Amino acid sequence: MNEKSSRRKFLATVGAGVVGLVIGGAIGWLAKPEVVAEKTVTSEVTKTVTVTATVTAAPTSTVAPPTTTAPPTTTPTGLDPVAQRAVDAVKAMLASGKVKPGTTIKLLHAGGSRENWERAIELWKQYVPEVNVELVTVDIVDVRVKAMQEAVAKTGEIDGFNVMSTWIGDLVEAGAIRPIDEWFNKYDPAYTGPDAPIEPLGTYCTMYKGVRYALITDTDVFTLSYRKDLINDPKYKEEFKAQYGFELKIPDTWEETIKIGEFFTNLNLTAPGGEKLYGLYFYMEPSFAGYITWWNIFTESGGILFDPETMDPKIDTPEGKYALDVCLRMLPYMPPECLTAPWPDLYDKFVRGQTVLTAGWPSLSKEAGRPEAPVRGKYGSALMPGVEVEVSGRKEIIKAAPNPVNWVGTVSSYSRNPELMYLFYQFSTSPDIGLDMVLRGIILDLYRRSWFVDPKYRPRSAALYGEEFVDVYMKSIELSWPDLTIRGGPEYLDKLTKMLNSCYAGAYDPGVVLSDIAAEWDSITKRYGRDSQLEAWRAMIQLYPSHIKELWKAKGYMK
Amino acid sequence: MLASKPPRSINLLANLPLNILLYAVLIIPLIIMIYLSFTDWNPAKGYDWYQASFTGLNNFARMLEDTRFIAALSRTIMFVIVVVTAEFLIGLGIAYLLLTEFPGRRALISLIIYPLMLPWVVVGMIFYLLFQDFGPVTNVFMKAILGEAATKIHWLLNPSLGFTVIMLADIWQWTPFMFLILYSGLSAVPRKFIEAAQILGASARTIFWRVQFPLIKPLVMIALVLRALEAFKVFDAVYMITRGGPGSATETISFYIYQLAIRYYDMAYASAVSLVLLIGLAIVIRIFVKYTIEKGGA
Repeated sequence: MNEKSSRRKFLATVGAGVVGLVIGGAIGWLAKPEVVAEKTVTSEVTKTVTVTATVTAAPTSTVAPPTTTAPPTTTPTGLDPVAQRAVDAVKAMLASGKVKPGTTIKLLHAGGSRENWERAIELWKQYVPEVNVELVTVDIVDVRVKAMQEAVAKTGEIDGFNVMSTWIGDLVEAGAIRPIDEWFNKYDPAYTGPDAPIEPLGTYCTMYKGVRYALITDTDVFTLSYRKDLINDPKYKEEFKAQYGFELKIPDTWEETIKIGEFFTNLNLTAPGGEKLYGLYFYMEPSFAGYITWWNIFTESGGILFDPETMDPKIDTPEGKYALDVCLRMLPYMPPECLTAPWPDLYDKFVRGQTVLTAGWPSLSKEAGRPEAPVRGKYGSALMPGVEVEVSGRKEIIKAAPNPVNWVGTVSSYSRNPELMYLFYQFSTSPDIGLDMVLRGIILDLYRRSWFVDPKYRPRSAALYGEEFVDVYMKSIELSWPDLTIRGGPEYLDKLTKMLNSCYAGAYDPGVVLSDIAAEWDSITKRYGRDSQLEAWRAMIQLYPSHIKELWKAKGYMK
Repeated sequence: MLASKPPRSINLLANLPLNILLYAVLIIPLIIMIYLSFTDWNPAKGYDWYQASFTGLNNFARMLEDTRFIAALSRTIMFVIVVVTAEFLIGLGIAYLLLTEFPGRRALISLIIYPLMLPWVVVGMIFYLLFQDFGPVTNVFMKAILGEAATKIHWLLNPSLGFTVIMLADIWQWTPFMFLILYSGLSAVPRKFIEAAQILGASARTIFWRVQFPLIKPLVMIALVLRALEAFKVFDAVYMITRGGPGSATETISFYIYQLAIRYYDMAYASAVSLVLLIGLAIVIRIFVKYTIEKGGA
């Protein structure tokens, strides 16, 4: 018995010792010094965008990989200057010992862009094999959650976040991401000149309160997708003209859109799969995208979300009411699921040929163009419908395109290799590599002007998206405006989405919904501080396209 | 000869991992949550949580004016009452019916508990698809009863109908849980009591209500408490079926707290709401346990 108890005692003591070591090690690891983000020089960046129509000679559009895997001692060839500068900078950092070979940087991103980023990493490895890039792939919502968690936990485990531009305000104010002006000015990612991202998007997606925090990795401007075969059908054209008194065509205005929607819905046609064909499908759903349609019409009507002097919400206005009225009038011509189904349902229905007019992200064109898509070859793309407004006694149709989401590359404030992370972004978004990356995957789309117009790149863009879409998309980007990138943007938009959706579903009085949303928005503004929000809003509205700003000035909303 | 008790230090060290886990996962977060509920902290405000300013009872006062919170809480309470009652009654009925032996009984029991084995995501998606406008509920079953008028019923667009679907999903998935508990309890009632009652001429109904049910009463109370606690936390079915819509008309309290904390980052208010719920639930459960299980002689 004594022998047993002493053995037991021995085992207990050893076990306790092991546990103590483990706990001590864990405490030691957790208590390691925090990495403090260094302040960088911030300065307002003014850009002069020069668009040239230069047609360059057309070399091969693919990047030629080097033939050796050994670290090159001379400057690598086959890269465009933007990527070359990034690679040269990394090589210099390696040579000086600022970065050690074998360093790994981690990029947090949404699952849908994994293919895109894998392509960028594949090319990166060919030029900078000494630096590894590891992807941390999560669900879309989790990207924001984890980025904000990093703002609280400050672990430094993630070097970069590929986030929605909508989240920039939150992330900046939380201290999660750092300005990149210093490296932007030093390494020049070509945001001017023929390769520049199309403005105003290039600026409004990457800046907050006049400081640059991101490089563009994507665009998400909406375009109208329509059933070419139905709109151009002579029989329907005749019937439509007889009924409505104007030509059946791609709608220029939302009023025309409603009539076209009504016409086709009432025809009681069926889709290839036997389902009913609806004339329209625009976003009205409750969890994410429901605000887009209303905001589109509101902006084109000349509405401004907040007063630039007071930050008071200005949605319960004639423009807001008109937009709500249009949405309510469109509803009968949309599938009932538009109010409950998640956003991919819009894609699904259009691709299956169940809707005639719809609007979505560029990926809608990719999906509709798949070989197995029932609408392949039968759809076209156009600018979003506009609103006819009176400006200085003159009537004109104002068109603008929403740009919800739009993934951008940001650098964590707690990254141990922030400059390296920035250089990876610059490499990945350079004219050659960037196009390669965008064309490879699903959710990232074109942004540099040369990818639309330069014969060196355009054929590849058009091969994926279609010639018509490429032209329309470029124009749409020029007419686009930013998602709500101020702090609390997601909350403002979520409240708008939910309450509008509730109204569309008949559960909220249309007479009071906008004023109630305004009250909710005001409480959000109060929570964050009116002055701070006003500063961000004033900076944001400067980045809107000029024709919208002119409209605001004409209406007296903007000085 | 008895082994000597290990020294106190060994006891402490041996319990240390569990204590660390308890403190790290439960107690410290609870303390932080209580602290936050008296502040205005939001990570987007740019300062750390321990630097947040004290705002007293502002968050709690806000709850009183927050119609969305009141609606979500009311809806959740109604949800608990309805689903737990339904699950109990249906589970009890099935358990009673399956007490008698018949061919295929075991296979039937396996089939009955099948929904319990499904992940909640799958259950939510099933019911979401079933009750869509293009789904079989409208296009097959309701059409068979109401004809074309059935196509005018939009289950997930109507707040009441949408919430009914959520309740149906929960009842479908969790009735087997009640069934299992009640069935095991009824099966364990000694046959001699039932036989004695039969000999005395009691009807089957009398035997059930006067002999069997009283004997399983403690088990019933435990099942009701467990199920009620779980039902109160309902999130998954709401997320998958309606996402709280239309608007926020089918939000439950868990879903609302998720919106506050994860979508809006209003951590302080979310903490306050969670704290109020924790205290409220603790009081209700304590009263329930005291007057049913303890006094009932579990």
